[in-house]
Amino acid sequence: MRKLKFALAGNANVGKSVIFNQLTGLHQHIGNWPGKTVERAEGTLHFKGYTIDVIDLPGIYSLSTFSLEEIISREYIVNEKPDLVINVVDASALERNLFFTLQLMELEVPLIIALNQIDMAEKKGIKIDLKGLEEKLGVKVVPTIAIKGKGIYELLERAVEAAEKGSAKPAIVRYGEEIEERIRRLTEALEKIRLKYPARWTAIKLLEGDEQVRREIYDLNPEILQLAENLAKEIEEIHGHPCPTVIVSERYEAAGKIARETQRILPRMKPSLSERLHEVTTHRILGYPIMILIVLGIFNVIFMFGGYISETLSNLLYEYEKIFEYFFGSNPLKEIIWGGIMEGIIANITIALPYIIPFYLILYILEDSGYLARAAFLTDTLMHKMGLHGKAFIPLMLGYGCNVPACLGCRIMETERERFIAGFVVTLIPCAARTVVILGLVGSFLGLHWALALYAINLIIVFLLGRLAFKVLPGEPTALIMEMPDYRLPHLKTIIKQTWFRLEEFLKISFPLIIISGLIIKLAEISNLLEPISNFLSPITVNWLGLPEITGVTLIFGILRKELALVILATLLGTTNFQEALTPLQMFIFTLVVMLYVPCIATIAACIREFGWKKAAAISLLEITLALSVGGLAYRVLAALNLLGY
Amino acid sequence: MELPLTALREGESGVITSIRAGFGWGKGGGYGLQKRLMDMGLTPGTKITVVKSAPFHGPVEINVRGYRLAIGRGMAEKIFVEVQK
Repeated sequence: MRKLKFALAGNANVGKSVIFNQLTGLHQHIGNWPGKTVERAEGTLHFKGYTIDVIDLPGIYSLSTFSLEEIISREYIVNEKPDLVINVVDASALERNLFFTLQLMELEVPLIIALNQIDMAEKKGIKIDLKGLEEKLGVKVVPTIAIKGKGIYELLERAVEAAEKGSAKPAIVRYGEEIEERIRRLTEALEKIRLKYPARWTAIKLLEGDEQVRREIYDLNPEILQLAENLAKEIEEIHGHPCPTVIVSERYEAAGKIARETQRILPRMKPSLSERLHEVTTHRILGYPIMILIVLGIFNVIFMFGGYISETLSNLLYEYEKIFEYFFGSNPLKEIIWGGIMEGIIANITIALPYIIPFYLILYILEDSGYLARAAFLTDTLMHKMGLHGKAFIPLMLGYGCNVPACLGCRIMETERERFIAGFVVTLIPCAARTVVILGLVGSFLGLHWALALYAINLIIVFLLGRLAFKVLPGEPTALIMEMPDYRLPHLKTIIKQTWFRLEEFLKISFPLIIISGLIIKLAEISNLLEPISNFLSPITVNWLGLPEITGVTLIFGILRKELALVILATLLGTTNFQEALTPLQMFIFTLVVMLYVPCIATIAACIREFGWKKAAAISLLEITLALSVGGLAYRVLAALNLLGY
Repeated sequence: MELPLTALREGESGVITSIRAGFGWGKGGGYGLQKRLMDMGLTPGTKITVVKSAPFHGPVEINVRGYRLAIGRGMAEKIFVEVQK
C-alpha cells in the first residue's frame, strides 16, 4: 500500500471541483486553510493499491501574490510538495489556461493535465490536437468531460503513472535572449543560497517584482535583490515597458503560441444557446427584470419553502415537550434540559435544514451555471456605492431573508477585505426575523410609513458604513475583474456534496454556540437573574434609549433569535397590545435598536465560520455600538421634533 | 488613435498600448490591479474587442484571448488602446 498526494490546480470555472468530487466521492473534508478564510477541500481515494490524498486548490489565474488564494496555492505546492499536480485546463479557453500551466511548469512540479470541458470547446468550434499539445508541453494530457464522468478513470491511471515517475520536466518557457541571459545570471547567484523555491523560478519572480519573494530574498541576501533590481531596470530600458509587464507578456505570448499551434477554431454560423442566454441576461433593458425575477424566485423558494419546513419541523419537535414533561414533570431540571438544550437543538434544526440547505444549493447552482457573473455585471455600479463590487449583490439580497446564508455566501468575494466588508454589510440587513419585529410592532401600531422609514434608515446606514469600511480598511481598491464563463449545466452531484459538507462545517460551530448561549440565558432565568440584569442595563435602556426597563431582557433574548425580542416582550408584558406598555416613540426606538444591535447567534456562528473569532467579535461589538448610538440619537431627535408624541 | 477602453463602442476592437494604473512596485499592498489585469491576459499589444457595456456606468465586457472578461468602469478607463477599424 503506497500513499500518494495529489493537488488539483487550475483557473476558476474549469470544472475543477467536479473532478475533485468525481475522484474523491464521499471521502472528503471541507474546512478552511489554517488561519485563513479560504476554503480548503481535501479528500481520499483508493486506486490500484494506492491511498491517494487529493487536495483541491482554490481556482486561480496566476501564481503571483494578488490574492490570498494565489499565495496559498503557491505555498502549498512549494512546502507540501505533492507527488503530482493535476492541472485542470478548460479546453474552451486554452490560451489563458496555458498561461497558468506554464507557471506551474516554472515551479518545476510533477504535472499532468486534465483537458476538461472538451465537449463545450467542441460546441464553440474548437478542436485541440492532443498529441501536439503533449509534445509541446512535455506532459501527459488527458481529455475529460468531468460532469459526465468521462476520462476520469484514465486521468487517475495516468496520474498514478506520472507520480511514480516523479520527475519534473524543466520549464519550457523561453523568454527573449536578453531576458534569458539575465535570468541565468540571477539563477547562478540564487543557487549559492538555500532556497525553498527552484532557483530559476525565484529569479523570474524577482524580475516580475513579486512582493513575497522579494521580501524573502532580502532577508537571505539583500545583494541578490539589488542585482535583481538592476537587471530588471536593464530589461525595462531595452523594452520600454516595466520588467514585470515584459515577463508576463512573453509568458502569455508563449501560451498563445502553443494554443494557436494546437487548436483549430472553426467559425460558427449560429450563436449557441449559451451565447443567446448570455445576450439576454446581460441585456441593458431585459437583464434587470430577469434578474429581479430570479432574485424573487430565490426568495420564494428559500423563504416560503424554508418557512414552511421550519414551522412544520418546529411544531413537530415541540410536540416532544409534552412527552418530556411527562417524564420529568415541570421542575427546574426539565426547564434546563428542555429550555436550554433541546430548544437549542431545535433552533439548529429549524434554521439549518430549511434555510441553509436550499440556500447553498441555489448559490452553487447560480455560481456554477454562470448566472452569478451576469448578476454581478449588472449590479456592479450600485454595489460600488457601498465600497463593494457586483459579486456582493446576491449575498446582500439574500440578507433580507436570513443573514446566516447571506454571511456564508460572502465567500464568493475574491479578497479577504471584500469578504469582510460584505459580511459586515450583510449582517446589518434586516432579515425575515427582524421584519417580524418591524412589521409586528412599528408596522401595526404606528403605520406602514414608519416601518418603511426604518428600512430607509437601514439602507442609508448600510451605504454609509459600507463606504466607511471601504475607506478605513487597508488593502487593494475594489474593482471588478471577472471572467464571464459560458453558461453551462451545473453538476448536481457536486453541488449536493458541496452543500452537505459545508452544512456540516457550519453545524460544527452553530450547534455548540446556540446550545450554550440558550443554556446560559435559561439558567439566568431560572435563578431569577433576569430582573437584576434588566436593572443593570437600565442606564442604557432607560436613560439613554428612553425605553422601559424590561426591554433589557428582551434585547438579550433577541440575540438568540431576533423575533424573540418581540415574543419575550409580549410574554413579560402579558399582552400583545403593546400600546398599553409602550409609547409610540418607544416602539420606534425599540425596533430600531433590534434591527441593528447585534447579529443573532446563528449569524455570529456563520461569521465565525467565514471570518474567524476576532472579526466575528468585531462585527458584533461594532453593531452593538452602532445600534446604541443611532437609537439614542434618534430618541433625542424624534423627541425634540415631537414627531411621535411622547 | 489612443483611447481609453471605455471610449470604444460595442463591437469595436483595439490593441492595448498601456494600462495607467498603479503597479505598487516595492511598496506594500502587493502588485496591484495592473498585474491582475495582465494575469488575465491584458498585456500591451493584445487585441481586445468590446462586447458590451453595462448601463449606469457599469462594467465593460470584452473579448480577450478567446474568452470573455468583465472589467469595472473605473478600471476600464485606465486601459488605453489603439483603435482598429
